[in-house]
Amino acid sequence: MLALCTFASLLGGSSGLARAQDASSWREIETKYIFGFTTGSGIGLEGEKEFTVDSIGRFGKRDGHYAATETKYEFEFTPSQFVQIEFGALGSTHNIGAVSDLDGRNQGAFAGGFAEFRYLALERTSNNPLSVTLAFEPNVRLIDETSGARVHNYEFETTINADVELLRNRLYAGFNMLYEPEVTWTATDQTMREATFGGSAALSVRLAPNVLVGGELWYLRHYDSPALSAFTGDALMAGPTLYVQFTPKMFMAAAWNTQLWGREVGNPLPLNLAEFQRHRAKVKFAYEF
Amino acid sequence: MYTVHMMLRRLTLAAICAPALLQPAPSRAEPVAEIRVTYSNGQFQPGQVSAPADKPIVIRVKNLDAKAMEFESTSLRVEKVVAAKSEGVLNVRALKPGRYEFYDDFNDKARGALTVQ
Repeated sequence: MLALCTFASLLGGSSGLARAQDASSWREIETKYIFGFTTGSGIGLEGEKEFTVDSIGRFGKRDGHYAATETKYEFEFTPSQFVQIEFGALGSTHNIGAVSDLDGRNQGAFAGGFAEFRYLALERTSNNPLSVTLAFEPNVRLIDETSGARVHNYEFETTINADVELLRNRLYAGFNMLYEPEVTWTATDQTMREATFGGSAALSVRLAPNVLVGGELWYLRHYDSPALSAFTGDALMAGPTLYVQFTPKMFMAAAWNTQLWGREVGNPLPLNLAEFQRHRAKVKFAYEF
Repeated sequence: MYTVHMMLRRLTLAAICAPALLQPAPSRAEPVAEIRVTYSNGQFQPGQVSAPADKPIVIRVKNLDAKAMEFESTSLRVEKVVAAKSEGVLNVRALKPGRYEFYDDFNDKARGALTVQ
């Protein structure tokens, strides 16, 4: 967190520090990407198009070495003042060695595709600081996110993205509720049905017109059933977030989460490293046009 | 397995169509409030405009400058590039009472605000 703040203050420059600036003269900010893994309610501006590269890395299992990434190559557009649509391709890498229950592999592959539909259900105004968006994101994967094995996986991520402007142009709180059922057919024709359910809370402070830093907390539960009837474990993750607007049309967002607490059903060891990971990181670059 | 694949495809198609159904249907007979703003010497004239609440709004932006500008507003959720010496038209949904800031995305000093009441 300290490193992120230092980086942010360097980007903002000495004149960009919060105490030296009058936030009332700053432009309003789009909140979608300012909370790290937590998604804000923003849906963009009608007619706006954006190309983004969004990479998520997951690191660390119980033993051995484990590093997996999934990158979204994404086109995003806002056809109306209430709806945003995104779609794109997925690429993945897996570097796994000596991890219990996972085959060792070192590979990079085209991993599938996704689409996302976002509907702004409640909009922020100068009289109402709360904004809420409903999002639905179907994913089709040919490579398993965790193991890197060839599969057919269908995931239906459904989220509620809410945020509140606590201090005008200065301090924001974000909240997500997540329900993510999925079904997977393996190469040996096994069928696995599972779901992840959880939520997050995040805070983001605007240090300068173009720089926000913050932190987020995620609590996730995993089930071997889309109906949330077969609980297998849960985890609590937290970490810092950063958002930097380089130009009016270009920005980057980054976040790092570490598992603080977790449990696996039937395993007395601390942390849940079967369904989750020790650390996860996110880096996103976007260009609007 | 085939049946499940078919069901998933149909679900995806339904999801694609859902946002269109969630949108309020526009009514041709709905009265529209019109706002005219001029952009000259890198400034909006007038800088403060007003409109009635709960009525769709048409904003006409006339750019008198010799270079393009981009009318943009995060809270109005619209943007439009207006070429030099020309006019741009933006259709805005019916708004709730409040203050909605706008600016020229190419010029940080050009600001304005729409008050809806």
